[in-house]
Amino acid sequence: MIVLDRVSFSYGARRVLRDVSVSIGFGERVVILGGSGEGKTTILRLILGLLSPDAGRILIEGEDITGKGDGALRDVRMKFSIVFQEGALFDSLDVKENVAYCLREYTSMSDEEIEARVREILASVGVEQAIHLMPEELSGGMHRRVSIARALALSTPKMFLYDEPTTGLDPVNADNICRLIADLSKDGKGFIMVTHKVSDALKVADRYIFLKDGALLFDGTGRELLHSDIPGIRVFVAEVCPPGPDCAEEQGGKHV
Amino acid sequence: MEIKRLLSDLQDFYALSWRGLAGIVRRPFYYKDALIQMDYAGAGSLLIVVIVDLFVGMALSLQLSAELSNLGMKMYIGMIVGISVVRELGPVVTALVFTGRVGAGMASELGTMVLGHQVDTIRVFGFDPVKKLVTPRVVSSLIMLPALTIIGVAVSLLGGYYINVFVSHQSGTFYWSSIRNILTTENVLAGAIKPFVFGYLIAVICCYTGLSTRGGAVGLRQSTTMAVVLSIVMIIISDFLLTRVLLYVLGFSV
Repeated sequence: MIVLDRVSFSYGARRVLRDVSVSIGFGERVVILGGSGEGKTTILRLILGLLSPDAGRILIEGEDITGKGDGALRDVRMKFSIVFQEGALFDSLDVKENVAYCLREYTSMSDEEIEARVREILASVGVEQAIHLMPEELSGGMHRRVSIARALALSTPKMFLYDEPTTGLDPVNADNICRLIADLSKDGKGFIMVTHKVSDALKVADRYIFLKDGALLFDGTGRELLHSDIPGIRVFVAEVCPPGPDCAEEQGGKHV
Repeated sequence: MEIKRLLSDLQDFYALSWRGLAGIVRRPFYYKDALIQMDYAGAGSLLIVVIVDLFVGMALSLQLSAELSNLGMKMYIGMIVGISVVRELGPVVTALVFTGRVGAGMASELGTMVLGHQVDTIRVFGFDPVKKLVTPRVVSSLIMLPALTIIGVAVSLLGGYYINVFVSHQSGTFYWSSIRNILTTENVLAGAIKPFVFGYLIAVICCYTGLSTRGGAVGLRQSTTMAVVLSIVMIIISDFLLTRVLLYVLGFSV
Protein backbone atom coordinates (compact mmCIF):
# COMPACT_ATOMS: atom_id res chain seq x y z
CA MET A 1 0.00 0.00 0.00
CA ILE A 2 1.20 3.49 -0.90
CA VAL A 3 0.02 6.10 1.58
CA LEU A 4 0.31 9.85 1.25
CA ASP A 5 -0.61 11.31 4.62
CA ARG A 6 -1.45 15.05 4.62
CA VAL A 7 1.35 15.76 2.17
CA SER A 8 2.21 19.33 1.19
CA PHE A 9 4.88 20.37 -1.28
CA SER A 10 6.14 23.65 -2.76
CA TYR A 11 8.55 24.61 -5.50
CA GLY A 12 10.01 27.73 -3.91
CA ALA A 13 7.10 30.09 -3.26
CA ARG A 14 4.69 28.11 -5.46
CA ARG A 15 2.58 25.70 -3.43
CA VAL A 16 1.86 22.61 -5.52
CA LEU A 17 0.26 20.16 -3.09
CA ARG A 18 -1.76 21.01 0.03
CA ASP A 19 -2.61 18.40 2.63
CA VAL A 20 -3.10 15.63 0.09
CA SER A 21 -4.05 12.30 1.66
CA VAL A 22 -4.57 9.22 -0.48
CA SER A 23 -3.95 5.47 -0.27
CA ILE A 24 -3.25 3.33 -3.31
CA GLY A 25 -2.89 -0.45 -3.35
CA PHE A 26 -0.08 -2.03 -5.36
CA GLY A 27 -2.53 -3.92 -7.55
CA GLU A 28 -4.71 -0.94 -8.39
CA ARG A 29 -4.94 0.69 -11.81
CA VAL A 30 -5.02 4.39 -10.99
CA VAL A 31 -4.95 7.52 -13.10
CA ILE A 32 -4.13 10.90 -11.62
CA LEU A 33 -5.83 13.62 -13.64
CA GLY A 34 -5.53 17.36 -13.52
CA GLY A 35 -4.39 20.40 -15.43
CA SER A 36 -0.78 21.40 -16.04
CA GLY A 37 1.12 22.38 -12.90
CA GLU A 38 -1.38 20.77 -10.53
CA GLY A 39 1.23 18.49 -8.95
CA LYS A 40 0.48 15.21 -10.75
CA THR A 41 4.11 14.43 -11.64
CA THR A 42 5.19 15.71 -8.24
CA ILE A 43 3.17 12.91 -6.61
CA LEU A 44 5.09 10.29 -8.62
CA ARG A 45 8.40 11.88 -7.65
CA LEU A 46 7.34 11.97 -3.99
CA ILE A 47 6.38 8.30 -4.07
CA LEU A 48 9.86 7.45 -5.39
CA GLY A 49 11.57 9.69 -2.84
CA LEU A 50 13.03 11.88 -5.59
CA LEU A 51 11.43 14.79 -3.72
CA SER A 52 10.79 15.19 -0.03
CA PRO A 53 7.50 16.74 1.14
CA ASP A 54 7.42 20.02 3.07
CA ALA A 55 4.87 18.48 5.43
CA GLY A 56 3.18 15.12 5.88
CA ARG A 57 4.40 11.55 5.47
CA ILE A 58 4.76 9.04 2.65
CA LEU A 59 4.55 5.36 3.53
CA ILE A 60 5.37 2.51 1.15
CA GLU A 61 4.16 -0.83 2.52
CA GLY A 62 4.23 0.68 6.00
CA GLU A 63 7.76 2.08 5.71
CA ASP A 64 8.00 5.83 6.18
CA ILE A 65 10.26 7.06 3.36
CA THR A 66 9.91 10.75 4.15
CA GLY A 67 13.23 12.55 3.98
CA LYS A 68 15.31 9.40 3.39
CA GLY A 69 18.39 9.50 1.17
CA ASP A 70 19.10 7.63 -2.07
CA GLY A 71 20.92 4.78 -0.30
CA ALA A 72 18.09 4.06 2.12
CA LEU A 73 15.47 4.27 -0.64
CA ARG A 74 17.04 1.79 -2.99
CA ASP A 75 14.92 -1.20 -1.92
CA VAL A 76 11.75 0.89 -1.96
CA ARG A 77 12.48 2.16 -5.47
CA MET A 78 13.07 -1.36 -6.75
CA LYS A 79 9.35 -2.01 -6.11
CA PHE A 80 8.52 0.46 -8.88
CA SER A 81 9.30 0.99 -12.51
CA ILE A 82 8.79 4.47 -13.86
CA VAL A 83 8.40 5.71 -17.40
CA PHE A 84 9.16 9.41 -17.38
CA GLN A 85 7.58 11.90 -19.74
CA GLU A 86 9.53 11.88 -23.05
CA GLY A 87 11.03 8.50 -22.07
CA ALA A 88 14.29 9.70 -20.46
CA LEU A 89 16.39 7.29 -22.52
CA PHE A 90 20.16 7.72 -22.24
CA ASP A 91 21.16 9.70 -25.35
CA SER A 92 24.65 8.23 -25.56
CA LEU A 93 23.45 4.61 -25.59
CA ASP A 94 21.57 2.76 -28.32
CA VAL A 95 18.26 1.03 -27.66
CA LYS A 96 19.92 -2.27 -26.78
CA GLU A 97 22.22 -0.69 -24.20
CA ASN A 98 19.40 1.43 -22.76
CA VAL A 99 17.30 -1.67 -22.13
CA ALA A 100 20.35 -3.62 -20.94
CA TYR A 101 21.45 -0.83 -18.56
CA CYS A 102 20.36 -2.52 -15.34
CA LEU A 103 21.06 -6.04 -16.61
CA ARG A 104 24.73 -5.19 -17.04
CA GLU A 105 24.96 -3.69 -13.56
CA TYR A 106 22.87 -6.09 -11.51
CA THR A 107 23.25 -9.46 -13.22
CA SER A 108 26.15 -11.63 -14.34
CA MET A 109 24.53 -12.46 -17.68
CA SER A 110 26.80 -12.89 -20.68
CA ASP A 111 26.58 -10.57 -23.69
CA GLU A 112 24.63 -13.21 -25.62
CA GLU A 113 22.17 -13.73 -22.77
CA ILE A 114 21.69 -9.98 -22.40
CA GLU A 115 21.04 -9.54 -26.12
CA ALA A 116 18.52 -12.39 -26.09
CA ARG A 117 16.75 -10.90 -23.06
CA VAL A 118 16.71 -7.42 -24.61
CA ARG A 119 15.28 -8.79 -27.86
CA GLU A 120 12.61 -10.66 -25.91
CA ILE A 121 11.57 -7.53 -23.99
CA LEU A 122 11.63 -5.32 -27.08
CA ALA A 123 9.49 -7.86 -28.91
CA SER A 124 7.00 -7.83 -26.04
CA VAL A 125 6.48 -4.08 -26.52
CA GLY A 126 6.61 -4.29 -30.32
CA VAL A 127 9.87 -2.52 -31.16
CA GLU A 128 12.37 -5.34 -31.67
CA GLN A 129 13.39 -3.83 -35.03
CA ALA A 130 14.75 -0.74 -33.19
CA ILE A 131 17.37 -2.63 -31.20
CA HIS A 132 20.38 -0.97 -32.82
CA LEU A 133 18.93 2.53 -33.23
CA MET A 134 19.97 5.53 -31.17
CA PRO A 135 17.27 7.37 -29.15
CA GLU A 136 17.26 10.35 -31.53
CA GLU A 137 16.36 8.01 -34.40
CA LEU A 138 13.17 6.81 -32.69
CA SER A 139 9.68 8.18 -33.27
CA GLY A 140 7.73 9.44 -30.25
CA GLY A 141 5.76 6.20 -29.93
CA MET A 142 8.87 4.01 -30.24
CA HIS A 143 10.63 6.18 -27.68
CA ARG A 144 7.90 5.48 -25.10
CA ARG A 145 7.86 1.78 -25.92
CA VAL A 146 11.61 1.47 -25.48
CA SER A 147 11.31 3.36 -22.20
CA ILE A 148 8.63 0.88 -21.07
CA ALA A 149 10.90 -1.98 -22.20
CA ARG A 150 13.74 -0.59 -20.09
CA ALA A 151 11.39 -0.42 -17.10
CA LEU A 152 10.59 -4.11 -17.63
CA ALA A 153 14.17 -5.27 -18.10
CA LEU A 154 15.53 -6.11 -14.69
CA SER A 155 12.84 -7.50 -12.51
CA THR A 156 9.16 -7.70 -12.09
CA PRO A 157 8.21 -4.48 -10.31
CA LYS A 158 5.17 -4.42 -8.07
CA MET A 159 3.88 -1.28 -9.70
CA PHE A 160 4.46 0.84 -12.80
CA LEU A 161 4.46 4.61 -12.71
CA TYR A 162 3.73 6.38 -16.00
CA ASP A 163 4.31 10.10 -16.34
CA GLU A 164 2.24 11.46 -19.23
CA PRO A 165 2.93 8.40 -21.40
CA THR A 166 0.75 9.53 -24.32
CA THR A 167 1.55 13.23 -24.39
CA GLY A 168 2.76 14.40 -27.79
CA LEU A 169 1.69 11.22 -29.58
CA ASP A 170 -0.79 10.94 -32.44
CA PRO A 171 -4.10 9.17 -31.59
CA VAL A 172 -3.00 5.84 -33.08
CA ASN A 173 0.29 5.72 -31.16
CA ALA A 174 -1.43 6.98 -28.00
CA ASP A 175 -3.97 4.19 -28.35
CA ASN A 176 -1.19 1.63 -28.81
CA ILE A 177 0.59 2.84 -25.68
CA CYS A 178 -2.66 2.66 -23.71
CA ARG A 179 -3.18 -0.89 -24.97
CA LEU A 180 0.35 -1.81 -23.89
CA ILE A 181 -0.18 -0.28 -20.43
CA ALA A 182 -3.42 -2.22 -20.06
CA ASP A 183 -1.73 -5.47 -21.20
CA LEU A 184 1.12 -5.06 -18.71
CA SER A 185 -1.36 -4.76 -15.86
CA LYS A 186 -3.32 -7.89 -16.78
CA ASP A 187 -1.46 -10.14 -14.36
CA GLY A 188 -2.62 -8.11 -11.39
CA LYS A 189 0.23 -5.62 -11.46
CA GLY A 190 -0.95 -2.14 -10.73
CA PHE A 191 0.04 1.22 -12.09
CA ILE A 192 -0.31 4.90 -11.44
CA MET A 193 -0.59 6.90 -14.62
CA VAL A 194 -0.40 10.66 -14.65
CA THR A 195 -2.10 12.39 -17.56
CA HIS A 196 -4.31 15.29 -18.50
CA LYS A 197 -5.91 13.34 -21.37
CA VAL A 198 -9.21 12.00 -20.06
CA SER A 199 -9.82 10.01 -23.23
CA ASP A 200 -6.61 7.98 -22.64
CA ALA A 201 -7.24 7.67 -18.91
CA LEU A 202 -10.66 6.10 -19.47
CA LYS A 203 -9.12 3.33 -21.56
CA VAL A 204 -6.88 1.88 -18.88
CA ALA A 205 -7.82 2.59 -15.27
CA ASP A 206 -10.30 1.53 -12.61
CA ARG A 207 -9.76 4.42 -10.24
CA TYR A 208 -9.44 8.13 -10.98
CA ILE A 209 -7.94 10.84 -8.80
CA PHE A 210 -8.41 14.46 -9.80
CA LEU A 211 -6.16 17.23 -8.53
CA LYS A 212 -7.17 20.87 -8.56
CA ASP A 213 -5.26 23.76 -6.98
CA GLY A 214 -2.99 21.32 -5.18
CA ALA A 215 -5.84 19.52 -3.44
CA LEU A 216 -7.56 16.23 -4.09
CA LEU A 217 -10.86 17.18 -5.72
CA PHE A 218 -12.13 13.73 -6.71
CA ASP A 219 -11.36 10.07 -6.04
CA GLY A 220 -13.60 7.47 -7.65
CA THR A 221 -14.44 5.26 -10.62
CA GLY A 222 -14.65 6.27 -14.27
CA ARG A 223 -18.42 6.27 -14.20
CA GLU A 224 -18.44 8.50 -11.11
CA LEU A 225 -15.94 10.81 -12.80
CA LEU A 226 -18.11 11.22 -15.87
CA HIS A 227 -21.25 11.70 -13.77
CA SER A 228 -19.56 14.18 -11.48
CA ASP A 229 -21.23 17.55 -11.22
CA ILE A 230 -18.11 19.24 -9.78
CA PRO A 231 -17.58 22.22 -12.15
CA GLY A 232 -13.77 21.76 -12.42
CA ILE A 233 -14.23 18.14 -13.46
CA ARG A 234 -17.15 18.78 -15.79
CA VAL A 235 -14.99 21.18 -17.81
CA PHE A 236 -12.19 18.63 -17.91
CA VAL A 237 -14.24 15.64 -19.06
CA ALA A 238 -16.28 17.63 -21.56
CA GLU A 239 -13.86 16.70 -24.37
CA VAL A 240 -14.87 13.03 -24.21
CA CYS A 241 -18.27 13.35 -22.67
CA PRO A 242 -20.42 16.38 -23.41
CA PRO A 243 -23.24 16.99 -20.91
CA GLY A 244 -25.93 14.29 -21.14
CA PRO A 245 -26.63 10.93 -19.48
CA ASP A 246 -25.96 8.63 -22.46
CA CYS A 247 -22.35 9.57 -22.91
CA ALA A 248 -21.39 8.84 -19.32
CA GLU A 249 -22.95 5.37 -19.57
CA GLU A 250 -21.10 4.65 -22.79
CA GLN A 251 -17.72 5.98 -21.73
CA GLY A 252 -17.46 5.05 -18.07
CA GLY A 253 -14.72 2.48 -17.54
CA LYS A 254 -14.44 1.56 -21.21
CA HIS A 255 -11.11 -0.24 -21.32
CA VAL A 256 -9.11 -0.86 -24.46
CA MET B 1 17.50 34.12 2.36
CA GLU B 2 20.22 34.52 -0.30
CA ILE B 3 22.96 33.87 2.28
CA LYS B 4 21.14 30.78 3.48
CA ARG B 5 20.86 29.50 -0.09
CA LEU B 6 24.54 30.26 -0.76
CA LEU B 7 25.59 28.36 2.36
CA SER B 8 23.35 25.45 1.39
CA ASP B 9 24.87 25.41 -2.14
CA LEU B 10 28.37 25.48 -0.67
CA GLN B 11 27.54 22.60 1.63
CA ASP B 12 26.17 20.59 -1.30
CA PHE B 13 29.26 21.43 -3.36
CA TYR B 14 31.67 20.26 -0.65
CA ALA B 15 29.62 17.09 -0.10
CA LEU B 16 29.66 16.30 -3.83
CA SER B 17 33.38 17.09 -4.09
CA TRP B 18 34.19 14.71 -1.26
CA ARG B 19 31.86 11.93 -2.39
CA GLY B 20 33.11 12.25 -5.98
CA LEU B 21 36.68 11.72 -4.78
CA ALA B 22 35.87 9.07 -2.19
CA GLY B 23 34.05 7.09 -4.90
CA ILE B 24 37.45 6.23 -6.36
CA VAL B 25 38.16 3.85 -3.48
CA ARG B 26 34.62 2.74 -2.67
CA ARG B 27 32.69 -0.01 -4.45
CA PRO B 28 31.07 -0.31 -6.91
CA PHE B 29 33.63 0.83 -9.50
CA TYR B 30 32.40 1.98 -12.88
CA TYR B 31 35.54 1.30 -14.94
CA LYS B 32 33.79 1.48 -18.29
CA ASP B 33 32.25 4.88 -17.52
CA ALA B 34 35.67 6.18 -16.46
CA LEU B 35 37.28 4.86 -19.66
CA ILE B 36 34.63 6.54 -21.81
CA GLN B 37 35.23 9.83 -19.98
CA MET B 38 39.00 9.45 -20.30
CA ASP B 39 38.68 8.92 -24.04
CA TYR B 40 36.53 12.03 -24.36
CA ALA B 41 38.73 14.16 -22.10
CA GLY B 42 42.16 12.89 -23.16
CA ALA B 43 42.22 11.67 -26.74
CA GLY B 44 39.51 14.16 -27.69
CA SER B 45 41.44 17.13 -26.30
CA LEU B 46 44.89 16.17 -27.58
CA LEU B 47 44.84 18.12 -30.84
CA ILE B 48 43.59 21.38 -29.35
CA VAL B 49 46.08 21.14 -26.46
CA VAL B 50 48.94 20.57 -28.92
CA ILE B 51 47.92 23.51 -31.09
CA VAL B 52 47.39 25.95 -28.19
CA ASP B 53 50.55 24.99 -26.28
CA LEU B 54 52.67 25.03 -29.43
CA PHE B 55 51.69 28.62 -30.19
CA VAL B 56 52.03 29.68 -26.54
CA GLY B 57 55.60 28.33 -26.54
CA MET B 58 56.38 30.07 -29.81
CA ALA B 59 54.88 33.40 -28.70
CA LEU B 60 56.75 33.28 -25.38
CA SER B 61 60.04 32.54 -27.10
CA LEU B 62 59.43 35.33 -29.59
CA GLN B 63 58.67 37.89 -26.87
CA LEU B 64 61.74 36.88 -24.88
CA SER B 65 63.90 37.00 -27.98
CA ALA B 66 62.75 40.56 -28.74
CA GLU B 67 63.52 41.81 -25.22
CA LEU B 68 66.65 39.80 -24.44
CA SER B 69 68.32 40.70 -27.75
CA ASN B 70 68.38 44.34 -26.58
CA LEU B 71 70.29 43.21 -23.51
CA GLY B 72 72.53 40.79 -25.41
CA MET B 73 71.18 37.87 -23.37
CA LYS B 74 69.43 35.76 -26.01
CA MET B 75 71.26 32.68 -24.76
CA TYR B 76 68.93 32.70 -21.75
CA ILE B 77 65.80 32.16 -23.84
CA GLY B 78 65.89 28.41 -23.29
CA MET B 79 66.18 28.71 -19.55
CA ILE B 80 63.39 31.26 -19.18
CA VAL B 81 61.08 29.48 -21.61
CA GLY B 82 61.74 26.22 -19.76
CA ILE B 83 61.01 27.59 -16.31
CA SER B 84 57.93 29.53 -17.48
CA VAL B 85 56.45 26.59 -19.36
CA VAL B 86 57.26 23.82 -16.88
CA ARG B 87 56.28 25.68 -13.71
CA GLU B 88 53.51 27.98 -14.88
CA LEU B 89 52.27 28.29 -18.43
CA GLY B 90 52.08 24.60 -19.35
CA PRO B 91 49.81 23.56 -16.45
CA VAL B 92 47.67 26.73 -16.52
CA VAL B 93 47.14 26.98 -20.29
CA THR B 94 46.39 23.27 -20.59
CA ALA B 95 43.91 23.52 -17.69
CA LEU B 96 42.16 26.47 -19.33
CA VAL B 97 41.87 24.58 -22.62
CA PHE B 98 40.61 21.54 -20.69
CA THR B 99 37.98 23.70 -18.98
CA GLY B 100 36.73 25.10 -22.26
CA ARG B 101 36.43 21.75 -23.95
CA VAL B 102 35.93 19.09 -21.29
CA GLY B 103 34.52 21.09 -18.36
CA ALA B 104 31.87 22.80 -20.48
CA GLY B 105 31.01 19.40 -21.95
CA MET B 106 30.62 17.85 -18.48
CA ALA B 107 28.31 20.64 -17.29
CA SER B 108 26.12 20.67 -20.39
CA GLU B 109 25.90 16.86 -20.57
CA LEU B 110 24.93 16.48 -16.92
CA GLY B 111 22.56 19.46 -17.17
CA THR B 112 20.81 17.86 -20.13
CA MET B 113 20.58 14.59 -18.20
CA VAL B 114 18.96 16.42 -15.27
CA LEU B 115 16.43 18.19 -17.49
CA GLY B 116 15.67 14.98 -19.40
CA HIS B 117 15.06 13.04 -16.15
CA GLN B 118 17.99 10.74 -16.95
CA VAL B 119 19.60 11.49 -13.58
CA ASP B 120 16.29 10.67 -11.86
CA THR B 121 16.19 7.44 -13.87
CA ILE B 122 19.65 6.53 -12.59
CA ARG B 123 18.48 7.18 -9.01
CA VAL B 124 15.33 5.11 -9.48
CA PHE B 125 17.40 2.25 -10.90
CA GLY B 126 19.26 2.21 -7.59
CA PHE B 127 22.53 3.79 -8.69
CA ASP B 128 24.26 6.58 -6.82
CA PRO B 129 24.43 9.42 -9.38
CA VAL B 130 27.59 10.77 -7.76
CA LYS B 131 29.38 7.43 -8.13
CA LYS B 132 27.94 6.77 -11.57
CA LEU B 133 28.38 10.25 -13.05
CA VAL B 134 30.78 12.34 -10.97
CA THR B 135 33.48 9.87 -9.91
CA PRO B 136 34.27 8.70 -13.48
CA ARG B 137 34.67 12.35 -14.50
CA VAL B 138 36.90 13.08 -11.49
CA VAL B 139 39.05 10.03 -12.33
CA SER B 140 39.21 11.05 -15.96
CA SER B 141 40.29 14.62 -15.12
CA LEU B 142 42.83 13.47 -12.50
CA ILE B 143 44.52 11.21 -15.05
CA MET B 144 44.06 12.99 -18.35
CA LEU B 145 44.82 16.60 -17.39
CA PRO B 146 48.31 15.74 -16.03
CA ALA B 147 48.92 13.57 -19.13
CA LEU B 148 47.82 16.39 -21.43
CA THR B 149 49.94 18.84 -19.43
CA ILE B 150 53.07 16.72 -20.00
CA ILE B 151 52.34 16.66 -23.74
CA GLY B 152 51.48 20.38 -23.71
CA VAL B 153 54.73 21.29 -21.94
CA ALA B 154 56.77 19.22 -24.41
CA VAL B 155 55.05 20.83 -27.37
CA SER B 156 55.51 24.33 -25.89
CA LEU B 157 59.23 23.67 -25.48
CA LEU B 158 59.34 22.48 -29.10
CA GLY B 159 57.63 25.70 -30.18
CA GLY B 160 60.19 27.67 -28.19
CA TYR B 161 62.96 25.66 -29.85
CA TYR B 162 61.64 26.46 -33.33
CA ILE B 163 61.62 30.23 -32.69
CA ASN B 164 64.96 30.10 -30.87
CA VAL B 165 66.70 28.31 -33.75
CA PHE B 166 64.94 29.46 -36.92
CA VAL B 167 63.92 33.03 -35.99
CA SER B 168 66.40 34.11 -33.30
CA HIS B 169 69.21 32.07 -34.89
CA GLN B 170 70.47 30.68 -31.60
CA SER B 171 72.03 27.29 -30.96
CA GLY B 172 69.48 24.48 -30.65
CA THR B 173 71.94 22.38 -28.66
CA PHE B 174 72.39 25.14 -26.12
CA TYR B 175 68.57 25.59 -25.95
CA TRP B 176 68.04 21.92 -25.05
CA SER B 177 70.98 22.00 -22.69
CA SER B 178 69.37 24.96 -20.86
CA ILE B 179 66.06 23.09 -20.73
CA ARG B 180 67.80 20.01 -19.32
CA ASN B 181 69.45 22.14 -16.64
CA ILE B 182 66.18 23.62 -15.41
CA LEU B 183 64.45 20.22 -15.24
CA THR B 184 65.38 19.82 -11.60
CA THR B 185 63.20 17.95 -9.13
CA GLU B 186 62.04 21.25 -7.61
CA ASN B 187 61.03 22.78 -10.94
CA VAL B 188 59.29 19.64 -12.14
CA LEU B 189 57.42 19.23 -8.84
CA ALA B 190 56.42 22.91 -8.88
CA GLY B 191 54.64 22.26 -12.18
CA ALA B 192 53.62 18.63 -11.79
CA ILE B 193 51.38 19.03 -8.75
CA LYS B 194 49.22 21.73 -10.33
CA PRO B 195 47.42 19.67 -13.01
CA PHE B 196 46.10 17.24 -10.37
CA VAL B 197 44.60 20.11 -8.38
CA PHE B 198 43.27 21.82 -11.51
CA GLY B 199 41.80 18.57 -12.85
CA TYR B 200 39.97 17.89 -9.60
CA LEU B 201 38.65 21.45 -9.38
CA ILE B 202 37.41 21.44 -12.99
CA ALA B 203 35.67 18.09 -12.58
CA VAL B 204 33.85 18.86 -9.33
CA ILE B 205 32.89 22.43 -10.28
CA CYS B 206 31.55 21.41 -13.68
CA CYS B 207 29.76 18.32 -12.35
CA TYR B 208 28.17 20.30 -9.53
CA THR B 209 26.93 23.11 -11.77
CA GLY B 210 25.70 20.57 -14.33
CA LEU B 211 23.77 18.56 -11.74
CA SER B 212 22.32 21.79 -10.30
CA THR B 213 20.74 22.76 -13.64
CA ARG B 214 17.16 23.94 -13.39
CA GLY B 215 14.78 25.65 -15.77
CA GLY B 216 15.16 24.41 -19.34
CA ALA B 217 17.42 25.80 -22.07
CA VAL B 218 18.09 29.07 -20.25
CA GLY B 219 19.05 27.18 -17.09
CA LEU B 220 21.36 24.96 -19.11
CA ARG B 221 23.06 27.98 -20.65
CA GLN B 222 23.49 29.55 -17.22
CA SER B 223 24.91 26.42 -15.62
CA THR B 224 27.38 25.81 -18.48
CA THR B 225 28.55 29.43 -18.39
CA MET B 226 28.83 29.28 -14.61
CA ALA B 227 30.86 26.06 -14.82
CA VAL B 228 33.40 27.55 -17.23
CA VAL B 229 33.68 30.92 -15.49
CA LEU B 230 33.99 29.41 -12.01
CA SER B 231 36.56 26.87 -13.19
CA ILE B 232 38.71 29.52 -14.87
CA VAL B 233 38.59 31.80 -11.83
CA MET B 234 39.40 28.92 -9.49
CA ILE B 235 42.28 27.74 -11.70
CA ILE B 236 43.86 31.21 -11.67
CA ILE B 237 43.36 31.72 -7.91
CA SER B 238 44.53 28.22 -6.98
CA ASP B 239 47.51 28.62 -9.33
CA PHE B 240 48.65 31.65 -7.35
CA LEU B 241 48.11 29.93 -4.01
CA LEU B 242 49.85 26.75 -5.16
CA THR B 243 52.76 28.74 -6.57
CA ARG B 244 53.15 30.56 -3.27
CA VAL B 245 53.03 27.34 -1.24
CA LEU B 246 55.17 25.27 -3.60
CA LEU B 247 57.90 27.90 -3.89
CA TYR B 248 58.05 28.01 -0.09
CA VAL B 249 57.93 24.24 0.40
CA LEU B 250 60.44 23.50 -2.37
CA GLY B 251 62.89 26.04 -0.97
CA PHE B 252 62.85 28.73 -3.68
CA SER B 253 63.76 32.22 -2.44
CA VAL B 254 61.41 34.95 -3.67
